[in-house]
Amino acid sequence: MFGLKRVVITGCGIYSALGLTPGELFESLAAGKSAVVRSGKDENFLPTAPAPREPERFRSLPRTLRRAMAPSACFTAMAGLAALQDSGLTQDELAELNAGCAVGSTMGSVSALRDGYSLVISGQSDRLSPMHFFKSASHTTAFNLARTLGLSGAIYSPCSACASGLQAIGLGATLIAAGQAPVMFCGGADETGSEVSGSFALMYAHAPAEGDPAENPQPFSAHRKGLVCGEGAAVLCLEEYSHAVRRGAKIYGEVIGYASNSGGNGLSQSDAPAIARCMTDTCASAGISPSDIDYVSAHATSTIQGDAAEAEAIREVFGTNVPVSSLKGHLGHTLGASGPLEMAAVFEMARHGLLIPTRNLVDIDPACAGIDHVTAPREKQIRSFFKNSFAFGGINASLICRINA
Amino acid sequence: MNLTRDEIIEAVNSALVNEMELDPADLAPEKTFFDDLGLDSLDMVDLMIGLQRKFGVSLRENEEIKTVRTLKDVYDFFEKNQAMLTAQAEAAKKAAEAARQEPPPATPEN
Repeated sequence: MFGLKRVVITGCGIYSALGLTPGELFESLAAGKSAVVRSGKDENFLPTAPAPREPERFRSLPRTLRRAMAPSACFTAMAGLAALQDSGLTQDELAELNAGCAVGSTMGSVSALRDGYSLVISGQSDRLSPMHFFKSASHTTAFNLARTLGLSGAIYSPCSACASGLQAIGLGATLIAAGQAPVMFCGGADETGSEVSGSFALMYAHAPAEGDPAENPQPFSAHRKGLVCGEGAAVLCLEEYSHAVRRGAKIYGEVIGYASNSGGNGLSQSDAPAIARCMTDTCASAGISPSDIDYVSAHATSTIQGDAAEAEAIREVFGTNVPVSSLKGHLGHTLGASGPLEMAAVFEMARHGLLIPTRNLVDIDPACAGIDHVTAPREKQIRSFFKNSFAFGGINASLICRINA
Repeated sequence: MNLTRDEIIEAVNSALVNEMELDPADLAPEKTFFDDLGLDSLDMVDLMIGLQRKFGVSLRENEEIKTVRTLKDVYDFFEKNQAMLTAQAEAAKKAAEAARQEPPPATPEN
């Protein structure tokens, strides 16, 4: 327990390229599916991992909510509604509880920003709508989730690139543990787009356009060539333990540890010692030792430097005693959604007693060796798991969840 | 802009149906935007932006449009003012064209 009160997870909703429910996602992962496709018609286009965006999918959201939502907020709203239904709470109960939310994303909505600036730059500012702002505001996923669920508690929107979602969960858990909120809907969301992929490509961190798109990304692989951007959302209902028990809630697990730190002065590169310190601090916050962990859900995005730094840190903290895999090979890097979305997948792994391997990992890079890589589906009971998320600016975040058996 | 009243009604109503997702059966001249049709002030801004584009006019500086309360008010507004709005749009277009053709200001020599 890392605070005054215990924090459990009582609801889970997702919106992803490989499934719109955790069950669908797990089936896709277990079947080894890849969400990665070419972003355009020919080999000049980078690979990407898009989630379903057809407008009809979001028609169930009332227009008055939907008008302020770009895809990232739509993903969040759908995931949030699913999490609410899964939790068994009603909107009336949320209002009585003063439930809040914490939802992070890297930059709100890249498509809405693009649409708005396109009008301004082309001299068509008279076509700008107030909705362009609401759709592209950096906290659009957070306030839109709050509007969708009718939340009246605090709204937080951690903006920490690829660690946004996990930091949102950590923040919500910290607040509940401190007795400041009974229920928080926490998660992350993001969109992919040419600007996002292009930014990584400029840094030579993106998988190439050539070849079979689904061959990338290849986390930890000796042949890895960079990441692939994905998108989607995941929202978890975090709840104070005694409240959850009193109302007979289904409990996925308990957040027993969380820590976040930074690597000092790094802009884009991960720092292995800082990551190791973050993971060690997370174990300390949970009051457990690394050997108590049954599985590490790695951040590993398939970048040369990032994967090696994380592997080095995992080697130092866990040695070869804990199985490790990354889901980025299947889903791509869903950016702000990655932490919560991959946690949702791990809950399913725990339910099925099956670890999903790292996709496209055949030859392990020697720089990533010395840890227990899961390269094929492995039966294993998960009692506690570790989740990593790292981000530009040297941001590290780690979380430990004990599964409710 | 040189439209009959029926064409104006059709244009306004189609904006309400397509962009505000209203039911055509709910549209009647006496209906108020806020109470009867359930729109709010942000919707009205978006509606006006759409009608500006549709009619090729600008409403940004127009005070009268801000007083509309019913569908009939909007039909009446465009029917009554279309000549004035069209003339304003033409003048604005000419001014913008003239500004584009002016030589750039002289830059100080360093």
